[in-house]
Amino acid sequence: MKTRTYRNPVGVSRYTGLLLISPFIIGALLLIVYPFTSSFITGLTDGSSFVGFENYRHILSDENIRSSAAVTLKYAAILVPLKLIVSLAVALLLNMELKGIGIFRTVFYIPSILGANLAVIIMWQYLFTSEGLVNQLLEAVGLSPVSWYGDPNAALFIIVLLRLWEFGSTMIIFLAALRDIPRELYEAARVDGCGRTRAFFSITLPQIRNVIFINLVLQTIAAMQEFNAPYMITGGGPLGSTRTIGMHIYEEMFTFGDAGTANALSWLLFVLIALIVLIMYRTTGRLRREDR
Amino acid sequence: MKKIIFKAAAICCALSLSACASKKAVSVTPPDGSLDKCELRFSWWGGDDRHEATLKAIDLWSKKHPDITITPEYGGWDGWTEKVTAQMKGGTEPDIMQINYDWLITMSPDGKGFYDLDSLSGTLDLSGFDEETLSFGRADGKLNAVTVSLSGRGLFYNSEAYSTIGAAYPQTWSDLIALGESFGNQDAYPLDLDIQSGGTAWYLAVVYIQQKTGRQFITLDGELGFTKEDIRDALDFYKLLEDNHVIRTVKTRTDEDGNAALYQSSEFIGGKVAGVLEWGSAVGKYESVLPKGVLETGPLLADENGNNSGWMIKPSLLYAVSGHTKHPDEAATFMDFLLNDEECAVILGTTRGIPASRKASSALEKSGALTGLSKESQDILNETDTITISPYMELSRMKSFYNTAIESVSYGTADTETAAEQMYRSVTEYLEKIKK
Repeated sequence: MKTRTYRNPVGVSRYTGLLLISPFIIGALLLIVYPFTSSFITGLTDGSSFVGFENYRHILSDENIRSSAAVTLKYAAILVPLKLIVSLAVALLLNMELKGIGIFRTVFYIPSILGANLAVIIMWQYLFTSEGLVNQLLEAVGLSPVSWYGDPNAALFIIVLLRLWEFGSTMIIFLAALRDIPRELYEAARVDGCGRTRAFFSITLPQIRNVIFINLVLQTIAAMQEFNAPYMITGGGPLGSTRTIGMHIYEEMFTFGDAGTANALSWLLFVLIALIVLIMYRTTGRLRREDR
Repeated sequence: MKKIIFKAAAICCALSLSACASKKAVSVTPPDGSLDKCELRFSWWGGDDRHEATLKAIDLWSKKHPDITITPEYGGWDGWTEKVTAQMKGGTEPDIMQINYDWLITMSPDGKGFYDLDSLSGTLDLSGFDEETLSFGRADGKLNAVTVSLSGRGLFYNSEAYSTIGAAYPQTWSDLIALGESFGNQDAYPLDLDIQSGGTAWYLAVVYIQQKTGRQFITLDGELGFTKEDIRDALDFYKLLEDNHVIRTVKTRTDEDGNAALYQSSEFIGGKVAGVLEWGSAVGKYESVLPKGVLETGPLLADENGNNSGWMIKPSLLYAVSGHTKHPDEAATFMDFLLNDEECAVILGTTRGIPASRKASSALEKSGALTGLSKESQDILNETDTITISPYMELSRMKSFYNTAIESVSYGTADTETAAEQMYRSVTEYLEKIKK
C-alpha cells in the first residue's frame, strides 16, 4: 500500500513546537518567573543595598512574626475542615432532584461572588459589634452576649465565619463530583439492602475522594494566604490575634516601607505552603490511588 | 530545552537586577519656565469638608487655567500612607501630593524622593512663609515640600453631652480624671483615646509626661528624650484614665466600634463619648457629624499650678511635587495657587488648618472666614509654650510600638513596667537603625 505524505504549507522546523507554546512561555516568564526572581532578590536587600540572608534571620527571630505564623496556622486548621464539611453537606442537599433546585444553587453561591468587599465588611461590623444583631439574638434566647471584636479568640472566629459563609465555590466543585457518581451504584446498593448512611460512607465518599483532596489543597492555600478579611474587619487586632502572615507582609511593605523583610517573608510563606501541600500529598497518597 | 530555560532564568535575573538599579536613576524633568497644556494629578486625604472645598478650588483653577487640567485623587486617612508608598515605589505617584510630616524621612531620606522646590522659585512664590516654617519641608537640605499649616492636637467636647451631665470642660488633669465618675454614672465617657490610625492614647500620655518632666519624648533629630521610667509613668497615666472611666478600655472601644473610625461611630454621634483629642486642621470631620455648634473647643489641660506646657505642634500637612513629574512648572504653579491665591484661600477656608502662608491667612481674615474650631484651637496653642513634634515620633513603625504597649497594658497582658521596658528597647533600636 502506498503511504501518503502531507506537505506542511508553513514548514515544520525544530522550533515550531516552541513557537506554538510561546504565548504561555512568555506569559510565565513575565508574570511568574520575573516577579518571583525579582522578589527573591529584593528579599536579600534592605530596600537598596545587599544584606544577604539578614532579613530571613531577622524574621525567624521576630516574636511578632512567629505569632502571625501561629495565627495563620490556627486559622487554616479551623476554617478548612469546617468549610469542607459545610460545603459537602450543602452539595449533598443541592444534589437532590427538587423543583426549582437551580434557584437554590444560585442563592447558595451568592456569598462567594460578594467576597470580602466593603458592603459585606460593613454588614459584618454591624452584625458583631457589642450592640449588633448577633448579640441581640443571643440575648433573645437567654445567652450572654459575646465580646466578638474585643476578645482575641472570638475575633478570629468572626473571620472564620465570614470565609465559611463563602463556601460556594467549594460546594460547586463537590456538586459536580456528586453528579458524576453513576446512579447504578446507589441502585445496586439499595437492592442489596444498603441504607443511606452506609451508601454515603461506602459509595459517595470513596467516589469523590480525589475532589475532597483537591478542595482541601485549594482551601488550605487560600487560608494560608488570608489577608482581606482580617485587614478590613479587625485590622489584625486585638493583641495581634487576627494578624495573619498575609497582613504582616502588607504592613512591612506598605505601612513600614520595608521591602526587604516583606519579600523575604513572602518567600517563607511560599515555602511553608509548599511544605504543607507536600505533606498532604505524601500522607494521603494511598487513599487517593484509583482502584484497579 | 534545558539550555533555553537556563537562558530565560538568566535574563530574568538580569532584568530584576536592572529594575533594582533603575529605581535610583530617576530622570528629573528640569523646569523650562513656560506653562504648557497638560494634565496633572493631585492627591490628598481628609474628611468630606476638605474634599468638597478642594474640589471647588480645583473648579476655580480650571476657570483660570483651562489648559492645565487637574485630576483629583482623594480619600480618608486610613490606608492612605500605604497607597502613596505603593505609588512612590512604583514611580506612579501623582504630580502634586498632600504629604504627611514623617513621609519626608521615609520617602525622601536623601532629599531626592520629591522634586527640589528651590529650583522652581520662578513659579512658586514662597515669600509669604517664614524660614522656620519652610525648614520643616527640607530633607537633607533640599526643599522637598511646603508646609500648608501648623497644627496641634487640641481637646474638643460635645457641649450638649456636657451640659446634660452638668459638667464643665476640664482645666487640669485632675479635673479630667474626676469627670470619669459623673460621666460613668450615665454610662458615658468625657473623652476618647484610640490606638488605631489616630494613636491619640499615647499622644496624650506623652503630653502629660512632657509637662511634668520638661523632657521631650523624641527630639527633632531623633533622640529618645524619655527615660524608661518616664515611659512607664506615661503608661500608668493611661491606665489611670481607663480605670477611672475617663476613656473606654481598648476592649470596650473595639467591641462597640469594631474597626470603624470614631467620627463614624454611633457612640460619638449619639454623645455617649463626649470628647475627642484631634488636630485643629482635621477636626471638621467630627464637627460635621454633630448638630451645628455642638462641638466646642476646650482648654489645654494643665497641672495644678496652671502650667500647660508639653502640648505639641507640627506642620499638619505639606504639599510636595513628584520627582517623576513631566510638568514641574505647571505643578509648581498649581501649588502656588493652592498656597497663595486669595480666592482659593477663601474657598479652602480652614479645612487644612490655618494657612501658614501669610497671603492666604490675610485673605481669609479679610473675608471673615478665619473663625471656627480650627482657629480657636490654633489660638489656644499659640498662647501656649508648645513643643515641635519630632517627625521620628510619627513614623508608622514607632506608632506600632506605642500601640502594642498601650494595648497590652489595657488588656492586662503586661504590667506597665514590662510594657515600658519593651517599648524602650524597640524604640531605641529602631531609632538607631533608621538614623544610620
